[in-house]
Amino acid sequence: MIIPVRCFTCGKLIGDKWEEFARRVKMGENAGDVLDSLGIKRYCCRRMLLSHVEIIDEVLRFYEETEKRREARGYYYRE
Amino acid sequence: MEIEVLEKDDKNIRLLVRGVDTPFMNALRRNILAEVPCMAIDEVVIIENSSVLHDEIIAHRLGLIPLKTDLESYNLPEECSCKSEFGCNLCRVTLTLDREAKDGTVTVYSGELVSENPNITPVSDKIPIIKLAKGQKLRLEAYARLGKGKIHAKWQPVSMCAYKHMPQIKIDAKNCDACGRCVEICPKKVLAKNGDKIEIRDLLACTLCQDCVDVCPKEPPAIEVGWEKNTFIFNLESTGVLPPERILEEALKILDKNLEEFAKQIEVQKT
Ligand SMILES: [Zn+2]
Ligand SMILES: [Zn+2]
Repeated sequence: MIIPVRCFTCGKLIGDKWEEFARRVKMGENAGDVLDSLGIKRYCCRRMLLSHVEIIDEVLRFYEETEKRREARGYYYRE
Repeated sequence: MEIEVLEKDDKNIRLLVRGVDTPFMNALRRNILAEVPCMAIDEVVIIENSSVLHDEIIAHRLGLIPLKTDLESYNLPEECSCKSEFGCNLCRVTLTLDREAKDGTVTVYSGELVSENPNITPVSDKIPIIKLAKGQKLRLEAYARLGKGKIHAKWQPVSMCAYKHMPQIKIDAKNCDACGRCVEICPKKVLAKNGDKIEIRDLLACTLCQDCVDVCPKEPPAIEVGWEKNTFIFNLESTGVLPPERILEEALKILDKNLEEFAKQIEVQKT
């Protein structure tokens, strides 16, 4: 759903490295090189970032759409 | 006992320890994993949560956030003089979070947790706790306590703590014809070919896998991989809650205390 705070296997903190990792990979950098430069050495931690899909973004889209519709209907401004 | 620091930075330490036996090294390792206390969020009161994650998941994520620990100012809850289940100022830190997504989707980070003690804060400010869509709210109060790794892994001060034997590689120069097969097969690139000789490039990296011995075409093999008795390479990686040397220090103190307790118990059994 959302990036785990720590590596499942060893307990290293990886949550704070996700956004940089995702951004740099999207920019076209090699994922392995990004992991190296972030100091993630063990393969247990590397798979945490490599295999992660941020599904929460897909779920949030439903709420964003609902909110837009509410606004369009003047849901909040009706007396 | 002889200790040499091979590498050290703010989170990692690598030691070469001579003159101790395996039981001692293992006791030290297990003490670091299970007995050295550190701070983690242990109880969460959710006041309002309209986010897409359940209360329990948020509480679990909060618990896993490593907090900078101050062992001098805080007691373990079971050793605290307050004897209260809820805790007092000497055994509990309150952190609060209050966030509403007013315009558009936002990510709530660990840096937004407000601690009552400015010294007890998350190790990193950039850990995502949750994402909120517009209009969603998260309001909570979290209580951090000292605890030990044997109760829950969130209280482990280290993310890696391991030792291995000091490798010892012997190359029989008379028997070896420097075919280079051992150089190629070594997964850690320990060996290097120098002219008509095989040389050891990085002895500490050797994992004692014996692949080089198996691949050697000579009979008996011209290379021999063994280990030095009672010499260890000790690796420690802190999660950031305490400096690595402090973790070692604490572990030794606790080991001493436990051994004393053990000796006392034996005395009691004897009489
Ligand atoms: Zn890991
Ligand atoms: Zn107390």
